[in-house]
Amino acid sequence: MAGGAGAERVSTAQASPVRTLVVEDDPHLAAGLAENLRAEGYHVDTASDGRLGLEWLRENSCELVVLDVMLPHMDGFTLCRTLRAAGNNTPVLFLTARGDPQDRVLGLEAGGDDYLAKPFHLEEFLLRVRAILRRWEWYRKASATPQSAVLRFGGNEVDFRAFRARSWNGAAQELTEKEAMILKVLAERPGEIVSREDLLERVWGYDVFPSTRTVDNFILRLRKRFERDPANPQHFLTVWGVGYRFLIEGES
Amino acid sequence: MKTTRVFQITALLLVIVSVIQVGWWVYDQHDYSTQKLRDARAGDAREVAAAQTLLDAGIPAAQVQGLLPAVTLTNGHATLSAIVDAALVEERNRRTNQYTWESGFFLLALALCIGVIWRALRAETQILQEQDSFLALVSHQFKTPLASLQLSLETMAKRPLSPEQSRTLIARMLADLTRMESMVSRILDSVRLERGRVDLKSEPVDLAAAVGRVVTQFEERARQEHIELTTDVPRGLAVLADSLAVDVVVRNLLENALASVAAVSGGSVTFAARAANGDVELSVRDSGVGFRADDGARLFKKFSRLHPGGGSSYYGTGLGLFIVRLTGGRVSAESRGVGQGAQFVLSWPAAPGQSV
Repeated sequence: MAGGAGAERVSTAQASPVRTLVVEDDPHLAAGLAENLRAEGYHVDTASDGRLGLEWLRENSCELVVLDVMLPHMDGFTLCRTLRAAGNNTPVLFLTARGDPQDRVLGLEAGGDDYLAKPFHLEEFLLRVRAILRRWEWYRKASATPQSAVLRFGGNEVDFRAFRARSWNGAAQELTEKEAMILKVLAERPGEIVSREDLLERVWGYDVFPSTRTVDNFILRLRKRFERDPANPQHFLTVWGVGYRFLIEGES
Repeated sequence: MKTTRVFQITALLLVIVSVIQVGWWVYDQHDYSTQKLRDARAGDAREVAAAQTLLDAGIPAAQVQGLLPAVTLTNGHATLSAIVDAALVEERNRRTNQYTWESGFFLLALALCIGVIWRALRAETQILQEQDSFLALVSHQFKTPLASLQLSLETMAKRPLSPEQSRTLIARMLADLTRMESMVSRILDSVRLERGRVDLKSEPVDLAAAVGRVVTQFEERARQEHIELTTDVPRGLAVLADSLAVDVVVRNLLENALASVAAVSGGSVTFAARAANGDVELSVRDSGVGFRADDGARLFKKFSRLHPGGGSSYYGTGLGLFIVRLTGGRVSAESRGVGQGAQFVLSWPAAPGQSV
């Protein structure tokens, strides 16, 4: 499923307008969001509850989901988690009336790309939509050619379009979108030092996460997936106080 | 939570210290009494010995008895009077018993005090928790219409709009304001009624007029949402109730019915009334989402919001039907199930002197 969705995205991105889905149960808010997204040139579909949203996403593909958290039938977090578990990596922008940091972390852990608390400013909403789409645009372009779509290092093989990988011990890996993006940023500049801030900016955009610690957690996950000895990394090296360096050949 | 924990620990310590203290008192008193008994017996023994010495010295028994009345003299032998010794033991037991009872009573009173404070504290904590969840809910309820208002206004500020588009946005904003206004009045209603600040009067209220007043306010909204709103309340039917409370109850039931019908994109809401056994019944029947039979009891709970799918709907405050319960009068709800509509029946005593 992930492979199919990924390939489709690449082929349709250039020609037709960007497709978005707004899942929001409040009719006024849903209409207002849809009108504004259309005015910006996006194609918009709407769903009024979580179940309808999930059904729509199972049958159609789009490049961005604007997802309310409190929804009838199925809340936004559950919807997003279900989507990710099924290998669907469509970017998600959460909208919610609960704006506390705990909730924000919960949303991003559920696989969301960004999080906006109600009430919000129209400009900020559009800015975040553009930022998410820009990051994905970059990722798609950077994985467009057969060479750039696949990364091989230390016996591991990563397919950026399918979000799949085979690690050195032959284990099949399903990558999350963030893991794939981090890997992409690192693989674009092998051997160079990439700062944590740089990774945050490229993968998440501005102030989504409160700390750069999140980046460290993702690097740990990548090491677990691809390093023969995660405690003694050969490919994902920490540069103390700065960030990380990725080596294709491995250190030795 | 924290206060109750502190109280639990303090109360436990207090009980332990008190039990030890009381135990010590009882032991101390018993010990003291036993000591006194021993002293008294030693004194008595000395008297018996003195009496025996006098007897042995040949002093007549009658004279010895006169000197030492507590001693019994039989056949030239001196012994202590059984009555005197029994009195001493009795005195000791009485003291010990008295202290045991008093201590028991003291501990019981202490336990009662702790119980009373504990109950008060628990009630307080529950109120605080309710207020917290109330605040969270209220802020959440307001944020959606606020977000919608802000979005509409910023859209107007940002984009050139046709007159028709502007009208749509203005209508949307007005509706958002109405939603917020209705939330405010419901919240105020519930707070006032719950704290008993409203003295509910008992006066004759013309039911047809009351229903008419409320229905007029909602006709426009019903038309917009494709809901057929009909009333079949006979003129001259009067109930004994508080007229403001009747308005609030009818309004809340109507709003509930409208929301339930709007959720299935249109249908009908019908008011009907009849007199029965000295009561007057007002029924509100809707063709809306209905509810599951086991959810019937939850309907009238504070903050309880049901959704046809079984989850919670995020419309409404969850206060409307709760308020209905607070206003006196009786209310019942029935539905044949999800998607089958619902009927709410209110009943009040009929006002005297009307032709039924």
